[in-house]
Amino acid sequence: MAEWKFLPFAQTALKNLFSAPVTTGYPIEPAQYPDRMRGHVAICIEDCISCGLCARSCPPGALTVDRKAGTWTINRFDCVQCGNCVNVCPKKCLSIVPGYTQPDVTKHSETFIRPQQPAQAAKPGAKPVNDASKCVYCTLCAKKCPQEAITVDRAAKSWTLDGEKCVGCGLCASSCPKKCLTMQ
Amino acid sequence: MAKQSIVPFGPQHPVLPEPVHLDLVLEDEVVVKAVPSIGFVHRGLEKLVETKDYKDYVYIAERVCGICSFGHGMGYCQCLEKIMNIEIPRRAAYLRTIWMEMSRVHSHLLWLGLLADAMGFESLFMQCWRLREKILDMFDATTGGRIIFSVNCVGGVLKDMDTGMLLRLVDTINGMEQELRPIAEAFLRDVSVGTRLHGLGLLKADQARLMGAVGPMLRASGVAYDTRLLGYAAYDDLDFEPITATEGDSFARCEVRINEIYQSFNLIRQAVDKIPEGPISVPVKGNPNGEHFMRIEQPRGEAIYYVKANGTKFVERFRLRTPTTSNIPPMLDMLKGCQLADVPLLILTIDPCISCTER
Repeated sequence: MAEWKFLPFAQTALKNLFSAPVTTGYPIEPAQYPDRMRGHVAICIEDCISCGLCARSCPPGALTVDRKAGTWTINRFDCVQCGNCVNVCPKKCLSIVPGYTQPDVTKHSETFIRPQQPAQAAKPGAKPVNDASKCVYCTLCAKKCPQEAITVDRAAKSWTLDGEKCVGCGLCASSCPKKCLTMQ
Repeated sequence: MAKQSIVPFGPQHPVLPEPVHLDLVLEDEVVVKAVPSIGFVHRGLEKLVETKDYKDYVYIAERVCGICSFGHGMGYCQCLEKIMNIEIPRRAAYLRTIWMEMSRVHSHLLWLGLLADAMGFESLFMQCWRLREKILDMFDATTGGRIIFSVNCVGGVLKDMDTGMLLRLVDTINGMEQELRPIAEAFLRDVSVGTRLHGLGLLKADQARLMGAVGPMLRASGVAYDTRLLGYAAYDDLDFEPITATEGDSFARCEVRINEIYQSFNLIRQAVDKIPEGPISVPVKGNPNGEHFMRIEQPRGEAIYYVKANGTKFVERFRLRTPTTSNIPPMLDMLKGCQLADVPLLILTIDPCISCTER
């Protein structure tokens, strides 16, 4: 049987009574967020190629990508700040930054419009085409492909593309050391 | 025989943060039978696995529960890693262990606060939750989230902790250990707390085993059963023994959980000392094909994860058996013969998580 005490918590309670509060006076006093805090998703729309991988991977379906119009739309009220879109983005144009967005009484979306089409990969429907005469079958393109759409068989000297899986991000073309891949 | 009456208890009750409903059959003030009904917060999260990419489902798996979130993500990832024969880097295993133990501290402090609140000891409740804020702040600094961490992925973890961050974590838990002592003293030595908890909800070891109790509930009855001893993640490298108590009453459950917080602090310190350098994840290619079943020790007890995959990117079946599911039958057994006024406290001593249970 334990040794019982009367009011063992009294000392702590009295100390708390005469010490400063541990809570911060938010919103008068601004909140301090740590660097890694997942507050909201931000986009550098100039770098976006509208591949749509973020929208496909979004667990609550809060993202919409319109490839033709070059828009990227986020419903802030559906977003759960998991950061999956940031992890899958092949161009690293998405980031998750500290701080919350403003609350509202109705759900609404925020749309970002790409100012101009990037030179190579942004053409709607552009897919990589391999120039077999230059290709050394190094498999770098297959390793870089976020969708596992490229299969390279070094022994058989074959390079195949799964057109359905390919999102036309152009990562394969930019990583190719022999510059034998072009987005067409 | 006295006249029997039925008193509905829950799903909305001041003591319970989550919706469980019991029909209590009473004779005067004594409970003779309790009939549970659950299903108020069923969200169909297991079914979603059929329509989401297996890599994206991690974020849904960890949203099964707000307190055991890290463990649910980890259990799901470990099943897929076994199916796909992926060996995760040791650093990732250590990081998972550290976050898992931080989750245990956070969960047990939450429970201690709720227990104090259920007893009407408001200042102790505030003190427990004030201490819990420190571990939540560490979660925020290391993972980016206070409750939902999103750091697990198939093949390892997504975020690393550098040496400075690990040292800050150790400093924090050392400070917390000092601050926990007067709180533990109040729970374990205060005469009013002792009077309220001693001898309440007695569950003997044989009965606990028979009814399928798990976690602190089982260990408080004197059974040294802890699935961390299976050695998943980095637990095989760490030195620890299951915490047990012999009495099997509510006080013993409280004692086990308090000692488990100290044990978690110790495990975090061991893991920080031993954590190796290296990568935190391995690339994962292809789709899983096969099935796997595994157990992990969540703060509330043993949880079972089952994944069946069919070679496509969509998993065929994901099944999760949570600790609360196992602890409901022994709870019903404990309720028989208790006073109506003790029912909220007894339900609380199993540390129920109804959101987990109903998924």
